[in-house]
Amino acid sequence: MAEPIITFKNVSKTYTLYKNDRERFKALFIKPKHAKTNKALNNVSLSIERGEAVGIVGDNGAGKSTLLKMITGVAFPDEGEITVDGKVAALLELTAGFSMEMTGRENIYLKGYILGLSDSYIKEIEDKIIDFAELGDYIDQPVRTYSSGMKMRLGFAINVNIEPDVLVVDEALSVGDATFKKKCKNKIKEIISTGTTVLYVRQNASSGKDLFLRVIYLKKGTVMFDGPTDETLKIYEDAKAKAKKNNTASQTGK
Amino acid sequence: MFTIFKEHKGFGKQIFLLAKDELIKTYKGAVIGPLWAVVKPAFTIFVYWFAFSIGIKTMRSVSVNLTGPDTFTIDFFTFMLIGFIPWFFITDSITQGAKTLRVNRQFITKVKFPISTILTYTALSRLFVHLLLMVFMYAYVLITIGPSWYNLQFFLYCPIMFIFFVALSWSTAPMSAFSKDFESLIVSVMSGIFWLSGIMYDSYSLPAPLDTIMLFNPINFFVNGYRNCFLYHRGFYVYTTELVIFLAEFVIVFALGIFNYNRLRKKLPDVL
Repeated sequence: MAEPIITFKNVSKTYTLYKNDRERFKALFIKPKHAKTNKALNNVSLSIERGEAVGIVGDNGAGKSTLLKMITGVAFPDEGEITVDGKVAALLELTAGFSMEMTGRENIYLKGYILGLSDSYIKEIEDKIIDFAELGDYIDQPVRTYSSGMKMRLGFAINVNIEPDVLVVDEALSVGDATFKKKCKNKIKEIISTGTTVLYVRQNASSGKDLFLRVIYLKKGTVMFDGPTDETLKIYEDAKAKAKKNNTASQTGK
Repeated sequence: MFTIFKEHKGFGKQIFLLAKDELIKTYKGAVIGPLWAVVKPAFTIFVYWFAFSIGIKTMRSVSVNLTGPDTFTIDFFTFMLIGFIPWFFITDSITQGAKTLRVNRQFITKVKFPISTILTYTALSRLFVHLLLMVFMYAYVLITIGPSWYNLQFFLYCPIMFIFFVALSWSTAPMSAFSKDFESLIVSVMSGIFWLSGIMYDSYSLPAPLDTIMLFNPINFFVNGYRNCFLYHRGFYVYTTELVIFLAEFVIVFALGIFNYNRLRKKLPDVL
């Protein structure tokens, strides 16, 4: 049995909702007493093995993005422990984190350094990234001159070519025109087949389900079900249908 | 405890690149570009000199009370100029430094980034501007006063000034990111601090106990320090009381910075 690559141990995350700016200012110096809170994740424990491809489903506000943000190291838990053992590439906010005045090539290095890669390694993968992004001579132009499609392509190319140990993908991701989209899908499939751990957030339960063996269903910050794809999706669909029925029932009842 | 140092490790080259980037962002699209970095302060100095030397007509020369029997007399313009050059760096460092994290929120909420380096590279870009101004100022000093070995103390004062105000932003920037009111507070206070610092007047010559109280303003340490280098030709260690008070403040600001940064670092992605 391999070591798990991602473990969440009783992780909770609470957002404090300040009533107004005065409360916020006060909170700088004394701990707020009566502030409203929103529990985004509630005592979540899970572990993901190396090489596993896992889907995550759930409605809006279920805590999916909070979970992903913690895995990518952007957000931090209030309680519990998270360990991620390896390089994480995130296909979430592809155009964010670029330095606009730097060239595409310099940005490749910037991202590389943030991920803790060495100069020589970045040099190695540089050409692959430029090739994949189809930027041509634009790679030595400042990123501010790029179209939004070009920025996304570069962001995608960097993230998939650093040979990540964990790849986090949001399905709602759009990466430009249809041909490039197809190329991206193929690349993600290729990465999964090479044994990289992949986390896939899905709005739509039925698409691409052949890619995963396991799906996690989140609801209001807690893990409702964690199991084989078909089983979890069935539970999720049922819950959704039920909620819809209740909704229409209450509406007609009025 | 050492988060800030860990975040800087191995990131040196990127900090320089990002500082350059910051400069380009500030001055791109302007016809005279980087010259604005000189024009604006030059105009400010002219206005103050005009108001006090020509307009009010009282300030033609300044007598400085250095420790020792003799007073030191110098024309007002030179005195003011040497005080203004560090002041420009200091005022920008405090006000811009406090805003930095809010302005660069995309590096905090969207991607994993060593956040404290944002404060370093933006400060570094301000240091470049400061060094450019220093070139002009030193040219003026060479012509009017002449060179001195004491000028070399600049390489002591300048890096310490840089570190001091970066360390100050470890406290102010996360707090301003947290609460916009805190940011406004700093900006408002800074507009008055100018007159509480010895830029237009000599803080040593104030009547007691004000001259001692002024030693607690760290801005005075640097303003007087630059004058030590270029005007008074005096060692930084000569006025011991001033030095000791500053060193104590330096330790406090540094420790508070580390404390506040660590306290608020993990909350930043949630509040920005």
